[in-house]
Amino acid sequence: MDFFSNIGLGFSVALSLTNIFYCFLGALLGTLVGVIPGLGVLAAISMLFPLTFHLEPTTALIMLAGIWYGTTYGGSTASILLNLPGTPANAVTCLDGYPMAKQGRGGVALFMTTVASFFGASFGIILLTLFTPIIAEYALQFGSAEYFALMLMGLVAASTISEGSAIKGLAMVVLGIIIGLVGMDTQSATVRFSFGILGLLEGVSLIALAMGVFGVAEIIMSVRRVKTADIDPESLKLKAIKPSRDEMRRSWFPMLRGSSMGSFFGTLPGTGPSIAAFLSYAIEKRISRTPERFGKGAIEGIMAPEAANNAADQTAFIPTLSLGVPGSATMALMLGVLMIHGVAPGPNLISSQPELFWGLIMSFWVGNLILLLLNIPLIGVWVRMLTIPYHILFPAVLAFICIGAFTSGFSPLNVWMVFAFGVLGYLMRIFHFPGAPLLLGFVLGPLMEEHFRRAMVLSRGDFMTFFERPISATIMALTGLVLIWGVVSAERSRKRQLLSEGEVDHTPEATDRPT
Amino acid sequence: MKSILTAAAVALGLAQPLAAQDFPTGPVTIIVPYSPSGNTDVFTRHLAPYLEEKWGQPIVIDNRPGGGSMVGTAIVAQAEPDGHTLLVTTSAFVTAPAIQTSLPFDSREAFAPVANVGHVSYVLVTNGDSGFDTLEDFIAQSKDAPKFAATAGLGTTTHFAIEKFIADSGADVDVVHFKGGGPAVVSILSKETDIYGSSISSAGENLKTGKVKALAVLGNERIDALPDVPSTAELGFPDLEIKQWVGMFAPAGTDPAIVAKINADVNEALQTPEFVATVTPLDWTLFQSTPEGFAQQVDEELTKWKALAVSQGISK
Repeated sequence: MDFFSNIGLGFSVALSLTNIFYCFLGALLGTLVGVIPGLGVLAAISMLFPLTFHLEPTTALIMLAGIWYGTTYGGSTASILLNLPGTPANAVTCLDGYPMAKQGRGGVALFMTTVASFFGASFGIILLTLFTPIIAEYALQFGSAEYFALMLMGLVAASTISEGSAIKGLAMVVLGIIIGLVGMDTQSATVRFSFGILGLLEGVSLIALAMGVFGVAEIIMSVRRVKTADIDPESLKLKAIKPSRDEMRRSWFPMLRGSSMGSFFGTLPGTGPSIAAFLSYAIEKRISRTPERFGKGAIEGIMAPEAANNAADQTAFIPTLSLGVPGSATMALMLGVLMIHGVAPGPNLISSQPELFWGLIMSFWVGNLILLLLNIPLIGVWVRMLTIPYHILFPAVLAFICIGAFTSGFSPLNVWMVFAFGVLGYLMRIFHFPGAPLLLGFVLGPLMEEHFRRAMVLSRGDFMTFFERPISATIMALTGLVLIWGVVSAERSRKRQLLSEGEVDHTPEATDRPT
Repeated sequence: MKSILTAAAVALGLAQPLAAQDFPTGPVTIIVPYSPSGNTDVFTRHLAPYLEEKWGQPIVIDNRPGGGSMVGTAIVAQAEPDGHTLLVTTSAFVTAPAIQTSLPFDSREAFAPVANVGHVSYVLVTNGDSGFDTLEDFIAQSKDAPKFAATAGLGTTTHFAIEKFIADSGADVDVVHFKGGGPAVVSILSKETDIYGSSISSAGENLKTGKVKALAVLGNERIDALPDVPSTAELGFPDLEIKQWVGMFAPAGTDPAIVAKINADVNEALQTPEFVATVTPLDWTLFQSTPEGFAQQVDEELTKWKALAVSQGISK
């Protein structure tokens, strides 16, 4: 059968020595970056992807994907031991993971989250294997109007659903689009906003933008915030990490529910692993017969979100690989990597580059297995990572960023741009403007413009094309709903905030007095 | 005083930094203004080992895509004219400047054409289930209901091929630009567009499986890969001799003796049986050219495409 020969092809690519090595390297680096709070996956991928320029595109993607899901594995370590999420997707793991660590069960929590992560990831990979080719089949019914509608929905969802202010999210999307406009226009060859600089003819470098806004800015922020850890080594000995039978029993259903939630939200534009983790935690708490245990070290409270965020990591590849439409900033970066390597993402990818597609997906098994084997015995090592003094770590990372930016085009201009975007990113942090929508706008904006203008030519200038074609119309309607829901929920939470502030006004002593 | 000395030195041949027979004195960089793994890149990577062997120096292939090949082209325009930085590009060298009017170099003045190495043919293709089986059908039907043509990008040879076809046939066709040949073929498969001037390798598998069918070969003669498909000359369009050629350029000011040497070495490599065997399956027709002949061809084509851009109203 065709399906099995594809799986075979995938494994033959993924199991080549080079690819196993880079998969291992990616997973290892990802875990490392995930463990260190303050360095997120976007920073990690944007810093490390110049390293992949000399690799085959398949190998490069295998390594970068390894970093991506590796950070989610590693991220739970800092959440549990320090109460500081290693990545945003692990934030909710702090709620029950840290109390477990304080009760001396940190080892159990680390072990169980690794198991949950592997379970969720496996669930996601199976769905990815089954559904991506099917969606790619239908992708031929997607014309420019549909792609435009889909990307619009992605941007609206990314800016309104993500945490924080929707207005700030939207503003960042628009800023990203504006930065994306720099360079030569593909439909008329007009050069826009390049100020006569030849290096800007092909636009602002994605690498410089990502490294500046995520890498440099995160480091400047962390310098002021992060403290070196202080951990009791006794709770992390190998025999201390064995969970009780009761904990095992209570973990099954949260893992299953978390995996399904994560798989679903991973595929949707704008949601991704963080939202999946938060929602699955909320659901576990709601359906639990003993919700009062949550927040005090309930095992369900770490199993569900950790399964969810890892499942979402995998299924996020479905729209990226089948349609060439990234749902999140990280996937947008992956798309950029594909394009830099000369691979055109889209419905043709699976048929024209089967060894890349199937090799990448099968490498996820390799990578997750490596992570499972890596994490359980190495928990102690990761914990020691948390004790590296930041006055050594951060300058090293900064130097690495500069080298990476320079080699990405052998141009000093890129280093200056990293500097400029680093300043921008820092200012954004100070004023609580989110960075992910900026990156998503930057990558999707020019694509959207291209599809929009092409759709306009194809409809001979009729705007109704977006509402008359059934698929496009459906997506547009959904976009409208997302927007309305975003406004309504923002309004509701504002009211709730006002209400609770009002309550606080009546009983000021209740919050001030220590209990 | 100094300038007189310099002039004297030049006259005596003393100041000439290197003689052609010594070329190259160091590694040679070949800039390819397209992404890795594209047609032009693959061709250059096949060619490079033969030149490395001949020259005894390493060749670095540097992909500088962007701006419809004009970014990498501009880099060579500004490079040191000593033959150690070369450009291998496509006929976009002569088509893109017809549309991009604000380029930081003059295509005629900034380059010394070295060699035209070969070309691939274009085939006008349409969806396998489209309502037309011949080019005449297509032209006739377009006059009842206007059709759409795909291109691999503004200012590419595929774009000019279609514009020239529209101008010569009087078909009623609107042009839609895609980013590269892959997405353009997808638009034919999804019936979003009706016709595309494709290379054999872009249409690839889809031609064999019948998902895409060929209406005509652009040019005066049929091609070996598709012996049953008529040429446009047979169908009554004698001026559609449009091929995507690949050529090598050096920056203007390169010693003509060095240009002649590189030309001779490239021509020799193109005749190696192993090289011919590698690239023929990719539908390449190889040439033996002279720098003078290639320079004249480039000059004529720059004029021709500019005129077409103006008459079709696609130039600013």
